[in-house]
Amino acid sequence: MVRLITHNILACHAKGCTTNNFPLQFQDVSIELREAEFNADFLRGFLPRLEWAALVSAARQLGDTSLPEQQPEMLDDEFLQKLHHVLLEIHVEEGAMVCPNCKHVYPISNGIPNMLLAEHEIG
Amino acid sequence: MLTQYLFVFAQVHDEFRIPELQSVAEIYGFDIKLPDNPEDRKTARPFMVLGLESEEHAKLLARRCVLIKYVCEFYARGRTYEELHQQNRIRAPQWQKYADDTSFKFLVTAFNHTIPQWRQRDVVESFAYMDFQGKIDMKNPEITLACFEEYRDKHGTTRPKDEGDGEFEEVWFGRLIETGSARPLVKKFDVKKRAYYGNTSMEAEMSLLMANQTLAAPGKLVYDPFAGTGSMAYTTAHFGALFFGSDIDGRQMRGKVKPPGIIRAAAQYGVANGIMDLLTFDVTQNPWRCGELFDAIVTDPPYGVRAGAKRLGRKNARPPTEEAPRVHVPRPDDQPYIPPTRPYELSELARDLVLLARYMLRPRGRLVFFLPTVTEEYKEVDIEAMLCGGMEVVANSLQDFGSWGRRLITIRKTTDKKFPPPTFDPAHAVTENVGSHVPAHKDFREKYFQGFKKGDIGGSDSEQQ
Repeated sequence: MVRLITHNILACHAKGCTTNNFPLQFQDVSIELREAEFNADFLRGFLPRLEWAALVSAARQLGDTSLPEQQPEMLDDEFLQKLHHVLLEIHVEEGAMVCPNCKHVYPISNGIPNMLLAEHEIG
Repeated sequence: MLTQYLFVFAQVHDEFRIPELQSVAEIYGFDIKLPDNPEDRKTARPFMVLGLESEEHAKLLARRCVLIKYVCEFYARGRTYEELHQQNRIRAPQWQKYADDTSFKFLVTAFNHTIPQWRQRDVVESFAYMDFQGKIDMKNPEITLACFEEYRDKHGTTRPKDEGDGEFEEVWFGRLIETGSARPLVKKFDVKKRAYYGNTSMEAEMSLLMANQTLAAPGKLVYDPFAGTGSMAYTTAHFGALFFGSDIDGRQMRGKVKPPGIIRAAAQYGVANGIMDLLTFDVTQNPWRCGELFDAIVTDPPYGVRAGAKRLGRKNARPPTEEAPRVHVPRPDDQPYIPPTRPYELSELARDLVLLARYMLRPRGRLVFFLPTVTEEYKEVDIEAMLCGGMEVVANSLQDFGSWGRRLITIRKTTDKKFPPPTFDPAHAVTENVGSHVPAHKDFREKYFQGFKKGDIGGSDSEQQ
């Protein structure tokens, strides 16, 4: 859990933290790899919603260097397989995600990230 | 050319029947022609004849609609067997192709009645004019001819066995195409046999009906912002969707032992991989980076009877003049900081949910949620008043509990315009359609505990400040 697809659609939402609040940085993580069902249509459909640079850097932080720096124009099967693995099969089970801007720490325990804000962080 | 098909439904949740049919037809991209006569469209009866383009469509419906028991190619109906046979003779071109050497059997059964054996035989013999020459095969026939007698509900009266036999309202006849194979899912997802559940878990049948309203299918992303014990995760994932769940209270999703409860129950159903992620956060303070992420939002929001909805903040907010906020005191690792919460009033929540859905759904995505209402006070405008531009009601089905009920509301996003994220600020609570209308579901919790008596609802104002 906390797959990289999820990581890619989460940003720090503390009060006033509106710039440089994405992507969250992984810290002290332990990861697990779990096979997921491949669905090319789903990947193609989701691609426009991804922040590519954030995905690549998050994958590298977790030790996966299979994705190219630049999002390729040709979505061939080999690329989609790699994207599938990075987006859906890497699970961050423990650790934390830290906001690059306000340094808020979102702990991950048992694969569930705690994204709750403290009292002084809500709008 | 449309062919007529006879559908036999389970006589439960009748207001959910047609929305379910239409949703499943939308998933597979075909049309359903409802009966022309409004009498024949009434869902108080279990039989309905629908027009479809192909038998394949009838089968798709039978495999996905939870409320379907049987689907038949429709041959005839009648107030009496004479009427039935007369119509059936006219329809001979439809069944004559089976007359020569197709193995067959008859199914003779009744709704609200049990037909004695000896008369079942009589009924079968009355079809002798069809002159079927094929083998009678009770185990593996090539076709099954089905005859249903429909009786009035005699519930609550004691009577001798077989009394009133033959005094049916109407009798229906057709060739059985498929037995509803989604209906057994109600047993499969039985909450009592689930590895993990809570006191607010949604019953299996309803969570299946809700999943169908979301148009769940492989590769679709479905989100539940009040995920709780994950009732909506299992059924949407069963139909192939990928599920995101969030809840302000992570304990609901986790339970007491590892791995998290929702994952354990999902594994029991073989859909653990359909759970994309579970996250702890308050949906009014959500971390989603952008909108238009999900194909459906489905939820049973807590309405305060067994569990109340909560949002971050304090019940009695301190004046804003306060100095710089105190940084919270660090705690030992095993004691995570738990921020204070305040109640989230139902009508406020419902309106926010529609705004959230407009922001978070892709065009043509659906919001599906339960809204409890006071039966006597409910008006259609209650639902209209919570809509906003670009959102349209597709279905509104009541599950009636007497003095109150809950409505499953299905809303479609009809626009591809982009919208800003909702503010979740009660001060901005001006609905676009119906100014300051007060819906029947406002302060539902208070009304529930006062037994839905008319008059003033006290004690609610202080909670909303």
